[in-house]
Amino acid sequence: MKTTDIERTRMDQDDAKLLAAYRAGDSEALGVLVEKYKRPLFGFILRFSEGREDADEVFQEVWVRAIKNMNRYRQKSLLSWLFRIAHNLMIDRVRRRKFVISLDTPVSEDGMSLGEQLAGTGLGPDSETGGRELGLRIEAAAARLPLEQREVFWLRMQADLSFKEIAKIQKCSINTALARMQYAVSKLRKELADEYRELQEAGI
Amino acid sequence: MKKKKLEKWLLLEASGELSLRQLHRLGRELAASEEARILRQELGRLRGSILLPEVEPSPWTVARIAARLREERRPAFLFSNAWKPALALAACLMVAVGIFNFHGNPAFSSVAVAASGVDVWNDPLERDLSRLESQIAAISSDSLDIVGM
Repeated sequence: MKTTDIERTRMDQDDAKLLAAYRAGDSEALGVLVEKYKRPLFGFILRFSEGREDADEVFQEVWVRAIKNMNRYRQKSLLSWLFRIAHNLMIDRVRRRKFVISLDTPVSEDGMSLGEQLAGTGLGPDSETGGRELGLRIEAAAARLPLEQREVFWLRMQADLSFKEIAKIQKCSINTALARMQYAVSKLRKELADEYRELQEAGI
Repeated sequence: MKKKKLEKWLLLEASGELSLRQLHRLGRELAASEEARILRQELGRLRGSILLPEVEPSPWTVARIAARLREERRPAFLFSNAWKPALALAACLMVAVGIFNFHGNPAFSSVAVAASGVDVWNDPLERDLSRLESQIAAISSDSLDIVGM
């Protein structure tokens, strides 16, 4: 889901209303909110978890914590607040388990890998032709990035958060978040040099 | 403009975080340098090639979240800070009532009643104890006699 700043501001007002409605006892409001942000949030969580069931649990935990700590919600964007909670949960889990997942790891009963699951149905607008292969290569190369760089990369590229928002989530300066992104992009550029050349020659 | 700075600005341009002045400067840079244009194109291609996951959480997710929130709300309310002033007030009232009773009419004071109750209870006990002591003394003097023989 990619939104412009104007859309995001408008949505923020809606979010505030929905949160207030949920607090006042309207249980439907929670469903609307979850529905609205499920794709970017779940996609992000899935990249850092052990598979769909695990991602489901983390997703639920993020929402429970968000609603419980609603009085601390001072950010402009609810999505960025949700990502912040997801980030904290993820850091806790990584510290506890030192868990590193490969995109080749089977994560479902039918033996599908995380890479296949993530790539399964959706493609970016420019990747419908030769770009799909490149997309998979990006997934694989990004999975090898250090955690903080990987997180900045996906928060920016997939969730469309600004560097200011990413810096808040990672509790660092904007310059640090930018530097992490630069490292990530330069590593990907090196790893994907051949694919880029091919695509450039093909004019894609 | 150095490559690192250019990269940073291109990233900030894509996220809409460049000021108008910076945007003008970047525009001039892009017009003048082919390397800058290639770098911008590369970033755009990288972004365009990202696979957008369409996987979704389980359909029961909302119900589960709502159930968990309901479960957690109850105990949270019982132990919440909202009860603290009420508990403090109740404790103060109990202390105040206790002090009032203690300084009030001794005839109706619960402390006095309790004290008199203890005296009544103690009387027969003391009698029993003194009887027991005398019996022990008698037994011990008998046993001393036996040892002496």
